[in-house]
Amino acid sequence: MANRLTKYRKSIVRTFFSNSFNRDVLLLLIISVAIGAAIAGLVSMSANAYFSETISGLVGDYGEYDFLINVREEMKEEGRAQIEKILGQVFPGSKWKEGPTLTGTTSFLVGLPPEYKNKQTYEGLGATFESVPGRTGISIMTEPRVRIKGVPEGARNMLVEQSMQINGVLFAFRDSSSVTVIIKSLDQSTAVNSEIEKLLAQYNIIDVAFPVGSEPENPIRLGEQIADTLRHEKSVGYAESVSVDSNSNDMTRMASAMLELKRFLSAYATRVTLAPAAGTVLIAGDLIVFQGAAAQAPAAGQTPVADNVLVQVTAVNNGVAEGIIIQGNSPELAAHPQGYVVANNMIGHAIGTMSYQNPRKELGDALNETSQLVLQIPEVAQDAQSITTVAGNALTNFDSSLAAVEQTLSGLGRASTTIQAATSGLANLDTTNIQTQLGNSSRALGGLVTTLQVVRVLNPDVANSINELSTTRQGLENLQQTMQALDRVASDAQQARAAIDSIVANGNTAVANLRSFDVTSARQTLNDTSNRLAKLQQFNAPLIATQLQYLGAAVPDLRDDEISSSVKLLDQFIAGQVIPSQRIQILTRSNVTIEFATPIISRVVGHSNLSVYSSVLGVIEPDPRAEVMVILSQVKAILAGMISLIAVILFLVLDHTAIMAVIRRNRMTANKTKAKGWRRIARGVKNIFTAPECLYGMGIGAIMLTVMFILSGGGIPYIPWVGVPVIGAAIGLLVANNAEKISPLEIDEVTAGESLGLSFDEIMREIVIPNGRPGLLQKLNRRKLKFK
Amino acid sequence: MLSIQNLFKRFGNLIAINEFSLTVNKGETVVLMGPSGCGKSTTIRTINRLVEPDRGSILLNEHDIMALDIDSLNQVRKRIGFVFQHFNLIGRLTTLENVMLGMVMGGMQREIARDKAIGALTKVGLETHLEHKPGELSGGQQQRVGIARALAYEPELMLWDEPTASLDPILVREVLVVMEELARDRASSMIVVTHELPFALRVADRIVLMDKGQVVEEGKPSQVFVNPISEIGRKYKELIEYQMNTSAQSLAGN
Repeated sequence: MANRLTKYRKSIVRTFFSNSFNRDVLLLLIISVAIGAAIAGLVSMSANAYFSETISGLVGDYGEYDFLINVREEMKEEGRAQIEKILGQVFPGSKWKEGPTLTGTTSFLVGLPPEYKNKQTYEGLGATFESVPGRTGISIMTEPRVRIKGVPEGARNMLVEQSMQINGVLFAFRDSSSVTVIIKSLDQSTAVNSEIEKLLAQYNIIDVAFPVGSEPENPIRLGEQIADTLRHEKSVGYAESVSVDSNSNDMTRMASAMLELKRFLSAYATRVTLAPAAGTVLIAGDLIVFQGAAAQAPAAGQTPVADNVLVQVTAVNNGVAEGIIIQGNSPELAAHPQGYVVANNMIGHAIGTMSYQNPRKELGDALNETSQLVLQIPEVAQDAQSITTVAGNALTNFDSSLAAVEQTLSGLGRASTTIQAATSGLANLDTTNIQTQLGNSSRALGGLVTTLQVVRVLNPDVANSINELSTTRQGLENLQQTMQALDRVASDAQQARAAIDSIVANGNTAVANLRSFDVTSARQTLNDTSNRLAKLQQFNAPLIATQLQYLGAAVPDLRDDEISSSVKLLDQFIAGQVIPSQRIQILTRSNVTIEFATPIISRVVGHSNLSVYSSVLGVIEPDPRAEVMVILSQVKAILAGMISLIAVILFLVLDHTAIMAVIRRNRMTANKTKAKGWRRIARGVKNIFTAPECLYGMGIGAIMLTVMFILSGGGIPYIPWVGVPVIGAAIGLLVANNAEKISPLEIDEVTAGESLGLSFDEIMREIVIPNGRPGLLQKLNRRKLKFK
Repeated sequence: MLSIQNLFKRFGNLIAINEFSLTVNKGETVVLMGPSGCGKSTTIRTINRLVEPDRGSILLNEHDIMALDIDSLNQVRKRIGFVFQHFNLIGRLTTLENVMLGMVMGGMQREIARDKAIGALTKVGLETHLEHKPGELSGGQQQRVGIARALAYEPELMLWDEPTASLDPILVREVLVVMEELARDRASSMIVVTHELPFALRVADRIVLMDKGQVVEEGKPSQVFVNPISEIGRKYKELIEYQMNTSAQSLAGN
């Protein structure tokens, strides 16, 4: 092993450190790389410095200034004075300078002392510099920073808080419609960016958009309801309505209250419905006039008077117009339901009769009736409790009654058995045959009597016998009738027994069912009911009734025209507020999909006439300055890379083609069998990549380009670092395959050198290199050239 | 002095030298002749291994040239002068530098090398063209520089690879004159590849006829060209006779 290492060491020393041509090549490589990298670095740095200086001249050095105040050019002097004054008072130690004036706006660049660089300062910049005359805006310039734009208003505070938890963040603040994160140092910028991206990726905004006509009355409240519902879904867990920042915006909260008030008032407005006469078409916004309290009915061609009732159509459904009263009051409508169209403030023709619904009156009536009902509740409860007592007693007797029934059924069973026993003997008698026999005997005796009666005429002595026979015969007939009765008795007994058996069976089934009845539980229920009824009796029904009467009295005692004018005023106020009327935004976890959320949202909203889509919590806005710097650095890298590429090509062409040509010549003159056919083609293709001069070219190209890139900071867009040596090798390969064309070798001279006994190094130095392309190698070679 | 035995060289399917054997004595001039492509130049180039033979032995003063490593071979090459058909001068160097190159690179002191070079150039009649670049010389002059370069080292063996083949007939003579003088000096053994029959007849101690990489006939010029035993020899004889007849007829005015 040691011997092998020694051998390698000697080989390396001999190859690169003895006075050999290899050492010249190594030296050439080092110097080439140094020169190429130096030129590439110099040019790219010069370009970078030039552009950076240009930018710095406009907006200061990177991180030098923190914000920029734009002032209208004509107010520049006053603005400057005020800015200077504010800085002296609020941020002593700040530096500022006047920046460029573009399109009528002058920029003042301000750099804050470190102690003022905090969330409070930045969030208050607008207010602090509010008094600057001609101020058109303030732009944050503090570097390094990340600006997250498109964050829903209600999510900004959360994002600020979470951003400030990230390692490397100095602070974060709300910046108009964005969240800006100030980073402690440039070297932490990438990591912070990455963390913010991860943070944003955790969340998802579910946007709910409503088409015109389907807007929610109070989107703020609806948003909260949707968020609550989503939050209660196990798979969601987190959901917040972030359409507006209702927690920190009093005006928003007030607007929300106004919306509720509007909804409340609108709910009490009288709704007038009118089916216009054929040929009349009404649309929302049309006016209809009614006589109201006026002495005369509205007359065509005149203008409505103050005592008339004016109704404005709010909707038309299936030809039936609905409207609200904007002048007058609903009771004034009852007497004169005929309506007339109003066009251009002029009364037109009659269009039909109306009907109306006054929710205020209906509610008042309902409350009054309810209050009367409430007074009866204790009495009703008492009655109900009595009934429960009775029911309890019934339950108490239930078991004994059931036992008596069972006993009765048992007796019936026994009776059935007795009847069975009693009628079983009769059942065995052939009563029919007996009756036949008796009938036959009776008829025989009847014949005999008839005969004897004839005989009696002859012999009156037989009269007694006739009587006796008649008696006997009567007895037989009686017996026959008795037998018939006996037969019926047996039949009836059987029917009676069957009925008894059926009664017993049904009775037993009923008893069995009754036995399964949970008497204890029923009694408990009765007791509970009784207790509740007892409590119900303790309610202060008079007080409740009084309160209901109070509520009835508290129903808005407003005229309809007062309600409509109030609603109109509320609308005017709400319209001035920034409240999303057609869009609700819910902040939730990124795993909540539209498919999952849509049915839930539709359920909460009450209809599906809405669009649900998702969006990201925020988008990282490229820092223009940082982007420019990044672009500059990329330009610098590309410039360095391009120059390195050019340098490599030049060095390869000028210095190494001669060497490659010699290597190729040595390969060609080596004793190798020439191939034919496809083998020759295969060898040719193989040689394109694996011939010694190609390997040399690829190696030199890869080494030179890679080291130059590293030293000069070069880069090629879309090509990773691993691609650099590959490109270098490719260039080397290309040059190697054209080496003899680029730098033709004087083979005769080389052969002459060989014949003179010159070594390879001497041939290279004295013959090949001096004859090659003028380059660095030739310059380096001159110091060792014996025949200059 | 030089003994070549069973030399063999193949270029792919082409056998350039086929079991070639030759012995050259000290001071002897051997002329290699044969048709184009018969392997003469390859043979002469294998002697100092400008072309590596596949097998065979080459002994120069009992030193096995085939067994030498590159450094030793370079030392041997310095003792063998080689004159090329195309002169093979270094274009960027002057006449003097071309001649000095081998000696200086071999370690000789520059002044000594210069003296030797001037002596060699004087011998070939170019002492007045020391600072000329090859491009400034005629073909004959260039070849004489090549001869001077080969001579300067005072080689034991001189190898001539068709030295006049690239020259026009008028310039051939000045080169042949120099060659004849050198042959007569017998300071070096010479192996000459040429098609110059008169030169061969006048100067050669021995003629070796080659065909298809092999020696087909060998002997003194009078023997080879008068009583040839090979087909090639007979053709050369016919050529000599033809040239002599046509020359005589031309001179006679026919």
